[in-house]
Amino acid sequence: MKKTVDVSIPLGPIHPCFKEPARIKCQTSGERVLSAEMELGYMKKGIERIMKGRPWQEVMFLAERVCGICSVIHNMVFIEALEKISVIDVPERAALLRVIVNELDRMQSHTLANFSYCYTIEHETLGMYLLDVREKVMDLLELITGARVTCAYMVPGGVRFDLRPEDARRLSAGIDRIESDVTRFMKMFEGGPLIATRSRGVGILTREVAIEAHTVGPTARGSGMPEIDLRLRHPTYQALGFSPEYREEGDNYARIMVRFQEILQSVRLIRQCLDRLVPGPIRGGGIPGAGEIAYSGEAPRGELTYFLKTDAAGRVLDISIQTPSIMNIEACCHYLIVGATSLADVTSTFVSVDPCIACTER
Amino acid sequence: MTLLQSLKNFVRSRSIHVSYVDVGSCNGCDIEVLACLSPRYDIEQYGIYVHNNPREADILLVIGAYTPGWEGKLATLWEKIPEPKAAIAIGNCPISGCLFNRPHTYVDPPVAKHIPIAAEVPGCPPRPTEILAAVLAVAPIVFRDFEVKR
Repeated sequence: MKKTVDVSIPLGPIHPCFKEPARIKCQTSGERVLSAEMELGYMKKGIERIMKGRPWQEVMFLAERVCGICSVIHNMVFIEALEKISVIDVPERAALLRVIVNELDRMQSHTLANFSYCYTIEHETLGMYLLDVREKVMDLLELITGARVTCAYMVPGGVRFDLRPEDARRLSAGIDRIESDVTRFMKMFEGGPLIATRSRGVGILTREVAIEAHTVGPTARGSGMPEIDLRLRHPTYQALGFSPEYREEGDNYARIMVRFQEILQSVRLIRQCLDRLVPGPIRGGGIPGAGEIAYSGEAPRGELTYFLKTDAAGRVLDISIQTPSIMNIEACCHYLIVGATSLADVTSTFVSVDPCIACTER
Repeated sequence: MTLLQSLKNFVRSRSIHVSYVDVGSCNGCDIEVLACLSPRYDIEQYGIYVHNNPREADILLVIGAYTPGWEGKLATLWEKIPEPKAAIAIGNCPISGCLFNRPHTYVDPPVAKHIPIAAEVPGCPPRPTEILAAVLAVAPIVFRDFEVKR
């Protein structure tokens, strides 16, 4: 086939399928995409520069506003980096409460990603069902932390609020309901003929390419790379006997199914935490001091790293954030979209890697 | 104003098309606007239809603290919306810049410097019900005295 570019089609920056402004330039021949290029730069706020020279008490709120969808993990990684620097111990109850809140955040992020995908492939019914499940998760998050999006739940040496016994019962009942709902919707996704046509075999990323492209998170786990999950190295998750979910197919279908499986896994992890929760202190002492560290955690989209340098008063001298979306977006543009047989598959493939532009540009 | 025109205005104020644009937020407000679509809040039961074509919109929801990437583009987008129109600022960012408006930042708030803002919904982020209430409060005002110019 002769590969000549017929027309260059821009998608975005304002596009019904994208939640945030981003532009994909597709070089096409007929409807086949020959190459794609990502254009970013609509969201750059310079948050790392704002953080420098400020006390950690301010930076922990700024860190949350790096990304509004996965705000809890940004808070958690920043606080745990501070704790690693100044050797602050966390009580066991607080460590378990952190896992509960983090998993609830992961659940709402994954349901949102799956909603976006279903919305993009025009399966609006399943999308709306998932958005309704997300509201139930947000209720539980609000029950524990007191806020829907920006919670600021974790502080050095523990967490801000305790979980009351009656709230624990409501949480337990809530996750039971969510589990039965998500199991039903997962079956709908698995068995839907329309979904299979739009998802199976579209945007295939093999394990070799996934390693070469440095993909992270559910995108990599959908291509058969369970070892990429950083929760395997987190001490609290290790104590819970965590083992990651993964699939081998590597197409859009696998990426969405991995997210469904991880929602159910989060439910199981929360249940385990609730079983292990014993009365005790939720805040140990400790004041952040001077030091330098690179610390990583598993965000809903993959590996999140904070390079942090503080002085003796706990002021942040230098900070650099590496977010997961940039690797997935690049892999998507250079490997997944190229060769797509239709432009409709470009948007759905792009949405299936769950890009977060606010994270990427900061 | 003719009777026909006032009838048209009344009907149109109960069928509003909303478009939203993110000019540099943290995503929190974006997702709360998206949550308005969910069956719990169900924005369409009030006759509000969300889609992302400014040429069909009546109300523009502006989210974010105005980054330099949007210089000139937001004004162009505002011109594309046909009359009558209104813009609502969602969240603290378009109003004051929230915590992005510090020394060494790239953002240039408020958005009211660049396009006229009809209503503001403060909060970081505001709840979906507050966004819904703001859109419903602005809708009758947009169409109140509108007449087609010939």
